[in-house]
Amino acid sequence: MSNKPDLLHGVPEIPAGSVPHANGCDQSCFLGERPDPLSYKEAIQTVKNWFRANSLWVIAYGTGCGSIELRPLGTARFDMERFGIAMRPTPRQSNVLIISGYLSIKSLKRVIRVYEQMPSPKWVVGLGSCTINGGMYWDSYATMKVLDLYLPVDVYIAGCMPRPEALIGGFKELMRMIKNGETKGYIDYIERLDWYRENQKQIIKDWDLPDYSW
Amino acid sequence: MQTTLQALKNQFTVQWEKQQRADLHQVGLPREQTLAALTWLKEHTPFVQLTHMSVVDWIEEDQFQITYLLMNPRSYDLLMVCTRIARSGATMESVHKLWPQAVTYEQEMNEMFGVEFPGSPRQGESFILEGWEDIPPMRRDFDTVQFVLDHIPDRPGRLSINTREFIGRKVGEKRLLHD
Repeated sequence: MSNKPDLLHGVPEIPAGSVPHANGCDQSCFLGERPDPLSYKEAIQTVKNWFRANSLWVIAYGTGCGSIELRPLGTARFDMERFGIAMRPTPRQSNVLIISGYLSIKSLKRVIRVYEQMPSPKWVVGLGSCTINGGMYWDSYATMKVLDLYLPVDVYIAGCMPRPEALIGGFKELMRMIKNGETKGYIDYIERLDWYRENQKQIIKDWDLPDYSW
Repeated sequence: MQTTLQALKNQFTVQWEKQQRADLHQVGLPREQTLAALTWLKEHTPFVQLTHMSVVDWIEEDQFQITYLLMNPRSYDLLMVCTRIARSGATMESVHKLWPQAVTYEQEMNEMFGVEFPGSPRQGESFILEGWEDIPPMRRDFDTVQFVLDHIPDRPGRLSINTREFIGRKVGEKRLLHD
């Protein structure tokens, strides 16, 4: 293994002989038969994904007790900025939404507005048991129990609470998924908006949100 | 503390009193004297600060207990003034003229227990719950688990384990047998 970063991970290799005048010159591809333009697109997409994966900007919005683990993650000891992860103050500047712990129904309404205002591509990380199946708040009248009914979740991090190491593990997994182009949650949210809206309206009784929070 | 308690007993009908800690006394007052007693305590005794207000649901006796926790800011003594009101159509006089911070407590008690405080600002507005349609959730006749099963979708496959057995298997039964 070389020490070079794997920039073009996933780009299909051009089989030898498909470029007739391949003589080591970069311009050789203009001389004869060109590779499939799709592979150019794919290569560009891969490079874009590599950039995206290495600049995750998290909106600094903590919904529950799990956000207490984001503080050590952001500060000197665990230092998430070495992974290119930074906290941003507004949804317009961020592309990762962390649902940190229990999410009350009152907060869910705000979270939906925040999520819809974020520019695509965007990803959702569910942190803690509460987002997965309710956790210790499974019998609370005020919290939702299954986050992926309301928002498209890309990565769940289990635990109550997950430590910052687990969070870093979750972020590494998210970065791997972004690099491989496996994260389609934000597309799914648009395609199945009616289904998400139906679930959201099922528990938000006083629905007063716009059709979509652009 | 003792001076205040004695003066309170001289002026008002103290139904019961109890010393919870060295610095915490509880007194029970009839409902119609409560507002007068609180006013008197604020004006004429060192117990000038309202630290907390809450409701206890005594469903067996069909009553709500309203609790006011007053503090003496010099000695840090606490005086808990308790009063019982009828549970059906529960109404209590507001103390927001004495302590402005009582507005928030009264709003929360109105939302969580359904106790009315006529004249208190922002009564009936959404405070923590939004769009709540059921009976107030902190009342003891509110079935929380049934509400959750009816209204909030669940992920199937959730297991419930006996913690004692589970930990016992993990660490060995011998250690738990001795406790």
